[in-house]
Amino acid sequence: MKLSAKQKEQARTAYLFIGFPLLLFSVFTFVPILFAFFISFYDWNLLIPDKPFVGLANYVELFQDKVFLVAIKNTLVYTIGVVPIQTLLALVLAFIMNQKLKGRAFFRLAFYIPAVTSSVVTSIIFVWIYSKPGLLNYLLSLIGVEGTDYLTNPSTALFAIMALNIWTTSGYFMISFLAGLQSIPQSLYEAAKIDGANQWQQFWKITVPMVRPVTYFVVVLSLIGCFQVFDQIYVMSAGGPVNSTTTMSYFTYNNAFKFFRLGYGAASAVILALIIFGATWLQKKYFPADAY
Amino acid sequence: MCFLVPIPFKISKYLRYLSGLILLWMAACQPTGNDTLRLSSWVSSPSETNLFKQTLADFRQTHPELDFKYEPIPGNYSEKLQLMLGTNTAPDLFFLKGMTAPSYMSFGILNPLDNWMAQSPDFEATDFFPFALEAFQYDGVQYGLPKDFNPYVLFYNKAHFREAGLDSLPTNWQELEQMSAQLTKDRDGDGKMDQYGFIVEPSIEMVMPFVYQNDGHFQNPDGSLGITDDSFIEALEFYYGLYQKGVATIAQDQGVAWNGDAFGRGTCSMAISGGWLMPFLKDNYPEIDYGIIPLPAGKQRATVAFTTAYAMPKKTAFEGEAWQIMNYLVGKEGMANWTNTGVAMPTRRSVAEANGFYEHPVFKTFMESAAYARPFQVQYSERGFEEVVVAFQAIFFMGKPPREAMEEIASQIKKYRLVKNKKQR
Repeated sequence: MKLSAKQKEQARTAYLFIGFPLLLFSVFTFVPILFAFFISFYDWNLLIPDKPFVGLANYVELFQDKVFLVAIKNTLVYTIGVVPIQTLLALVLAFIMNQKLKGRAFFRLAFYIPAVTSSVVTSIIFVWIYSKPGLLNYLLSLIGVEGTDYLTNPSTALFAIMALNIWTTSGYFMISFLAGLQSIPQSLYEAAKIDGANQWQQFWKITVPMVRPVTYFVVVLSLIGCFQVFDQIYVMSAGGPVNSTTTMSYFTYNNAFKFFRLGYGAASAVILALIIFGATWLQKKYFPADAY
Repeated sequence: MCFLVPIPFKISKYLRYLSGLILLWMAACQPTGNDTLRLSSWVSSPSETNLFKQTLADFRQTHPELDFKYEPIPGNYSEKLQLMLGTNTAPDLFFLKGMTAPSYMSFGILNPLDNWMAQSPDFEATDFFPFALEAFQYDGVQYGLPKDFNPYVLFYNKAHFREAGLDSLPTNWQELEQMSAQLTKDRDGDGKMDQYGFIVEPSIEMVMPFVYQNDGHFQNPDGSLGITDDSFIEALEFYYGLYQKGVATIAQDQGVAWNGDAFGRGTCSMAISGGWLMPFLKDNYPEIDYGIIPLPAGKQRATVAFTTAYAMPKKTAFEGEAWQIMNYLVGKEGMANWTNTGVAMPTRRSVAEANGFYEHPVFKTFMESAAYARPFQVQYSERGFEEVVVAFQAIFFMGKPPREAMEEIASQIKKYRLVKNKKQR
């Protein structure tokens, strides 16, 4: 393709602008990703100079490692539980916050605050709430129910952390939905009202389809976020009890940085990346952003 | 220092040069700070940090010619140290925890100290408690020198004992269980216990004293795995039994962060802990009236002692200087300065004797324990500990029978046996 002098000039300026960020991005993101892929084929202990090539041995071992299989299961349960509830909740919140309500600004702020609070801080607060003499059990005791210690009970720990994550990120995605809602022409709602549609019908027949591009964006982001969940696990349960909250990221971290097995950790990170890639691809194929 | 210089290449060639540029840039950014010796430690409490800085200041005064920088590592010490060692940016002198020492020693990245010890007439290796020195030996080579130790002892609440009419203290397992039962009570009469005799914890360090007392091992002297032996299982069953029978609680049931907190609140009348519980109680629960005795004995007396050493990396450029500092810090003068407040116990018998540790009303209990204390160390990777913790959690939180839980993980743990780095042989 032949470029005119002006186009060349423009291209040069454009590259100059993106050049520096691109460089940083390459050094701190692309190169490490490629490198992680590379070392996943090695028995890579940072502290031992001898780093033998082991081919697919790390991958083979991963799929025989009970803890890794549990981690995959936990990650899937976490994602399948969190993403739909979180997306729906964010949409409903946004829908309500888009109405002309009294104190709307206050509620918008209140719902958004968890999203801008450090995840470590919210995690610590929830450690207290979920503890045996904590707030949740106090509230339950008022209605005569005796609760457990949610984070040391293997059957509740993962769900407790899922609930926390739904709470923190719903407000964040609410903002995305709000922006989407405000771009829906008012005339659609007016026309629907004239045709006799009630609030419920308006929500499902107009709002939901019209925010589809936003929904796509929200679902992709929360899918990726959920598959990579780490901070809450690290702070609240350290993967326990009995590995009931060990997720793939936490497994990767433990093996790479605590058990001196960077190659093995990298291999599990590669599998996590493949799963995320696959999930996003499926979504793009079956639920594209621009169906309407 | 390292700058990114904008290079006026033609845009079309930009990408081609990009990769080269990155390599160049990375090569130019050699780790800095190789001009002075660096000393790193983890950070536990402000009072300990101040004490350590004071000890270093004393050294500076007597050795003004020796320049060094103190760079504490505030969090994730082990992870950070691993990365620093792997990228040749490790400090020239650093703390090494006894429990993780076997991994580091097996990787062959620490500097052997035997020559330096032999060359220094004032060192006197025989002055050290053998268990502390042995914790940092691998294949007969000394890789670290223990700066202090802290054994598990039994803390008891004097007021609770008086109230329950107990005029003696537990000396064996039976008494521990009996007295725990007598000390467990429902104070406010709501049908739920709010004072327990004892507190347990699903962690390997807490179970090991009982295992050692029962003549068991995590790893037998012949190298085989001991966690399915009767002596190990019996001890675990006794320890878990205290909780199962309701005469002991666990921190999670009380919503507290750790055993010491439960002890301070009076939720439990006895707790096993190291000396670090004393400053915690002083700061948070100054009114509590407590005493300290050696652990009750099983078939034999035993306790677990935690010990920390100084070590230097193999690739240090300041070997001689690092040795000088190390020799001072674990020497009679440095160790006396560091341990004089009882933050941890001296690993040199002479320092303990000269500073009255054997006569001190509190410290003598710790010193008495030194006679039969053992470091908890095994030739298995940390992944092995993780598996044991998971099994303990299954026992405590899901009621899995101890024998079944240990048998299930035994074959898994055997895979994590440490192998000496072949290149180092």
